Amino acid sequence: MSVPKPGDKIGCLTCTESLLKRREFIRAGALSLFGISLSRYLQAKSVFAEAGIDVEANATAKSCILVWLDGGPSHVDMWDPKAGSSFKPISTNVPGIQVSSLLPRMARRMDKVSIIRSMHTEENNHGQGTYYALTGHRPTAAMQFPSFGTIVTREKGPRNHVPAHVAVPGYKEGAKGNYMKGAFLDAKYDPMVVGTDPNSEGFQVQDLSLPKAISPKRLEDRRSLLALMDETYRRKMEMTEAFKMDSFTEQAVNMVLSPEVREAFDLSKESEKTRDAYGRTGFGQSLLLSRRLVEAGSRFVTAAGHDLNGWDTHADNDKKHRDTLVPGLERSLPVLLDDLEARGLLESTLVLVMGEFGRTPRFNSKGGRDHWPHCWSMILGGGGVEGGKVVGASDERGAFVAERMVSMGDVHATVYKAFGIDWTKEYMSPIGRPIKIANSIDDTTGQPVHELI
Amino acid sequence: MTAPAKGKTWIRAQHGTSIAAVLALTGSLLFSGTPAPAPAHTPQALSLRLMPQEIRMWGAGASQRLVVIATFADGTERDVTADTRLEVNDRDVADLSAEGKLVPRNDGETAIRAEFQGQVSQASIGVRESRASRPFSFSREIGGILTRRGCNDSACHGGVKGRGGFKLSLDARHPREDHRWIVEGGTYQVLSPESAEPIRPRVDPKNPAESLLLQKPTFQIPHGGGSRFSAESADYAALRDWVRDGAPVREEEQLRIERIEIFPSYLVLEKGQHRQLLVTGHLGNGRTEDLTDQVRYETVNPELVRISPTGRVEAVATGETALLVRAPGRVANSRIGVIADAVHVVPQVTDNNLIDRHVFSKLRKLRIAPSSLSSDAEFLRRVCLDLTGTLPPPDRTREFLSSTDPAKRDRLIDTLLETPEYIDYWTFRFSDLYRVSYSSTGTPAHSLVYWAWIRNSLTENKPYDQMAFERISAQGNDGPSRHFLQNGEVSRPQDGMPEEMRVFLGYRLDCAQCHHHPFEEWSQDQFWGLAAFFGRLSRTEWTSEGAIVVFEDPAGRVPDYEETEDTVKVIHPRTGQEASPVFPDGTPLSEERSFDPRLALAEWITDHPNFSRTIVNRMWGHMFGRGIVEPVDDFRSTNPPTHPELLDELARDFAGNGYDLKRLLRLIAKSRTYQLSAIPNATDRNDVANYSHRVRRDLDAEILLDSISNVTGVPETFKNNWMGVAPTGTRAIDLRVPDLYSSKFLEIHDRPNRASIPERKNDASLKKALHIMVGSTYQEKIGDPRNRLQRLLTAGRSDGEIIEELYLRALSRFPTDGERSRLEQVAASGDSREESLKDIMWAMITSREFASN
Repeated sequence: MSVPKPGDKIGCLTCTESLLKRREFIRAGALSLFGISLSRYLQAKSVFAEAGIDVEANATAKSCILVWLDGGPSHVDMWDPKAGSSFKPISTNVPGIQVSSLLPRMARRMDKVSIIRSMHTEENNHGQGTYYALTGHRPTAAMQFPSFGTIVTREKGPRNHVPAHVAVPGYKEGAKGNYMKGAFLDAKYDPMVVGTDPNSEGFQVQDLSLPKAISPKRLEDRRSLLALMDETYRRKMEMTEAFKMDSFTEQAVNMVLSPEVREAFDLSKESEKTRDAYGRTGFGQSLLLSRRLVEAGSRFVTAAGHDLNGWDTHADNDKKHRDTLVPGLERSLPVLLDDLEARGLLESTLVLVMGEFGRTPRFNSKGGRDHWPHCWSMILGGGGVEGGKVVGASDERGAFVAERMVSMGDVHATVYKAFGIDWTKEYMSPIGRPIKIANSIDDTTGQPVHELI
Repeated sequence: MTAPAKGKTWIRAQHGTSIAAVLALTGSLLFSGTPAPAPAHTPQALSLRLMPQEIRMWGAGASQRLVVIATFADGTERDVTADTRLEVNDRDVADLSAEGKLVPRNDGETAIRAEFQGQVSQASIGVRESRASRPFSFSREIGGILTRRGCNDSACHGGVKGRGGFKLSLDARHPREDHRWIVEGGTYQVLSPESAEPIRPRVDPKNPAESLLLQKPTFQIPHGGGSRFSAESADYAALRDWVRDGAPVREEEQLRIERIEIFPSYLVLEKGQHRQLLVTGHLGNGRTEDLTDQVRYETVNPELVRISPTGRVEAVATGETALLVRAPGRVANSRIGVIADAVHVVPQVTDNNLIDRHVFSKLRKLRIAPSSLSSDAEFLRRVCLDLTGTLPPPDRTREFLSSTDPAKRDRLIDTLLETPEYIDYWTFRFSDLYRVSYSSTGTPAHSLVYWAWIRNSLTENKPYDQMAFERISAQGNDGPSRHFLQNGEVSRPQDGMPEEMRVFLGYRLDCAQCHHHPFEEWSQDQFWGLAAFFGRLSRTEWTSEGAIVVFEDPAGRVPDYEETEDTVKVIHPRTGQEASPVFPDGTPLSEERSFDPRLALAEWITDHPNFSRTIVNRMWGHMFGRGIVEPVDDFRSTNPPTHPELLDELARDFAGNGYDLKRLLRLIAKSRTYQLSAIPNATDRNDVANYSHRVRRDLDAEILLDSISNVTGVPETFKNNWMGVAPTGTRAIDLRVPDLYSSKFLEIHDRPNRASIPERKNDASLKKALHIMVGSTYQEKIGDPRNRLQRLLTAGRSDGEIIEELYLRALSRFPTDGERSRLEQVAASGDSREESLKDIMWAMITSREFASN
């Protein structure tokens, strides 16, 4: 075994880590002898950086679309078919992989995505579960944690004028919208919330389009007037520094007046045929808008076009999955994957499809299934993540993890690895608590799902 | 009432010394028996102090560092030790070593005399047990080395999980654990007693020199922490001998350090100056010991001051920072201010009350002149927003600005504290802190009674200790009991307890849930001992009315949703044992109090000295935008207050006067400190922590939105899915359960969701800028046909009148002549007068002056 060299593809971390550590220590000792202070060294404690390995050079993804199935889909009725489901399993275009008969179209695209059937998470209510899925941390009154979307945005930065982090259409309720934010990170990494339903008539993005009453000239006039008032005030108060808001104001005006940004959000530029193909639903048009944004340069787009808790089938689970929920997904998701592929974007766009947890393998008295975080499924593909595989397994009923538990921190680490972000990084919170960007269960660091990336 | 003219409130005087002269004084570090001749241009010393004044030395190895401080005619103090002539009366009792330290010779009493520029100071010396060698004590000897050499620093082996396969407790706070880790090896796994990495002993008694404990820090083998000491050092010998003797763990309680004292506790230096610190340990046996050379020094900001391993401070750049002194088992702190050079500013400002006395006296030390008093208009807007969250109406502004009553500011403060807006505003603030939210309590009905309790408490100006007591000890289904519910379930003891501790005592204990606090004295045992006070909290079933009753179940906590008989027990995660209620000082809850542990805890919390400090600091933070301890609920030895005496006096005053929140706010608002202008002067421009001038801050989301609605005359419509539309005119601060109401504006401005204790951040951001430029809030209010502008136009008002009205409403002041004429031009210049005036109204409510206070 040799010590990894810069540019080496990183395989299993656990194998290389011990080697890296030894080398790290040797180097550090040398450094301190040459007078570089210990504290300085300790700040730069990325294992990879110390070994001279460029995680970034191995990046495979430029963007990520998080297809969010709010409320928690039933894994045994979809990606992990079980005898306890009313729906029979069917074969897919990957030999040996079966999914529920509700998913014939996705079954024909199984080579593009992989299934993780051994997701295990720690919160059993919608709010907390969503929080956990997006941040990797259980909520606590003590502090809030940044979402993995804001972390990707912070680490990778914008690609151009187009907002790097977008939520389509975003939550109607405050609480969940907050979970997508960056907590103690700078507010500039928070998602831009589209706010309105992209399937609505004359859809326009709030805060990004000029209102009818405001011409571009008037916008400029207003900005000059504001600048005048602020300058007067600044002089009066003998302020020496510019207002932090000024640079954002300029950026905002540019964005509103920029054709590329407007175009990225303008669904009317798509043909009727394409819009129909994605499905004339909030969900379908959200996926279409996500594709436009990713194509235009966004880093992280959350597509959550469903009603709040739409997948929360405490009653009539089968009927809802059969008649509305899965058909909606079946209609739009394959189109997104095909479209991304046809445009050559799939290889650089990581697509995650998940909710905040799965559902009970057992029916309740109302023919519904309740919340179930102990074992559930999600799918992912694109952006360098291999398709056509199944990771992990649940037990006979789909109740508990039987093989290879995957945590939310592992999923986050997978996303970071695809983006070329060092997933072992920690951020220092304002009170000095180090926060793992990929936080797994029992205070361990999440590891990329090595079967897939 | 007018502000005094600038420049007349203080007198500048030129310092007599050049920097070169100061540097010349610092030239020699080594003590010399004969006094160095004072440079001719050194100012005249007025008095001299030899420290410590009473020197007591016990045991053969004792020693004492000496510091001589001279006070000069210009009011400055300087360390003149190196230039002082020192003489011990009886050198058979004690003598000076080559390094200038006092060392014992024989038991007895004598004195030492210091002379500098003809000034003299004396100190008494007592030597005892001069032949007795000190008994070995593991934490003092071994822990002392590991602390002084930085081995157990939080960034190294003292980190939560240790480092490189070896864990130590931070600052040797837990000697028994340290001993085990040294002898057995291993790191700390947060949630399990098992070590994650292979265990390797750090000592080898058969071959002491082969011990990792010796080979690593001397870099004989690779060590991530580099070389910490040489194999020739005394520390190496001490460790080696200890290993050779079988690595004993004997602990001498009488030698344990109980308290550390730093002299001076607050230090101001000019840039380039130096000063020797003295660190005294107070031991378990009641004796004192000079620890100056035995501790580890750290500054929070090494760019400002440098500190040698023996406690010599050197001022490098101007500013203020904290200094930490780490000894085995104890940490102490002091603050150091570094001022520019020799410009003397002597502020002559009158003190309105005790606040000013403390604040201005520190500013004098830092030679910062406070800004002048704020103008009436500046003060009016500030105090209205800070006490009531509401802009003053134009009539009140006109009246206040034109009044010649010299007591008008005090009257205004008294009036504001009795307004309904005061109740509205502080109900909102405390609802934030106490986390009234639908998602927390589980249902709007719960939130409403909780909110009502807060409002009633503020309406009757309930003593704050009573309010706290009611909340901590709450039972049943009334308001304060609701905060124990999280999503309709009883919150877990390990979640509920740290919240009370943070809200009422300003301690963030959360870290100690899984491990000893990484930089504080909070241990994991203390955490679980406190959590156990909440261990029997239970609830009744949900009813259709949602009236869950919270109660103490003598049989133990009733399993809640997804819980079992086993999981409801309060289990210390590392010992696996069930925790029982124990106060942090180790006293278990007595049997007769165990019928209601939280009653006993509520008494303990409200009697705790930090209880008053915390609320005083919190309210201070509201008024000034920065706490005396900042963040306001992060009290710890490594985060010292900027004005410790002020904080203590305010806390005593608060506790001694009925825990009266209004009285506290009145005291703060009436201080001259609070009423200083935001316009800086040459000396206070860079000050951020000493209240030399008002540091303006952005309005919080709700206040900003309410102010926009107020100025435009278009109330905000708040909708929710359960209760429909809030009554017209409901302000953002009036929303009882705000998370029921979605609001684009409030989301964009980062309204806290109250899922955790709110920490507001008012970062500038693109989304705010976009909303300002083209967002719906502004478009709708500016475009509304019934808004204030339209009403003024309909009433036939002139451009000048409209501009004046908007200024009074939005900025609580008249426009200057320049502003008036410029804006009149703008109004007249466009295609449409109405559209131009709309643009003016828009610019007014998007301006920084409007959006900050």
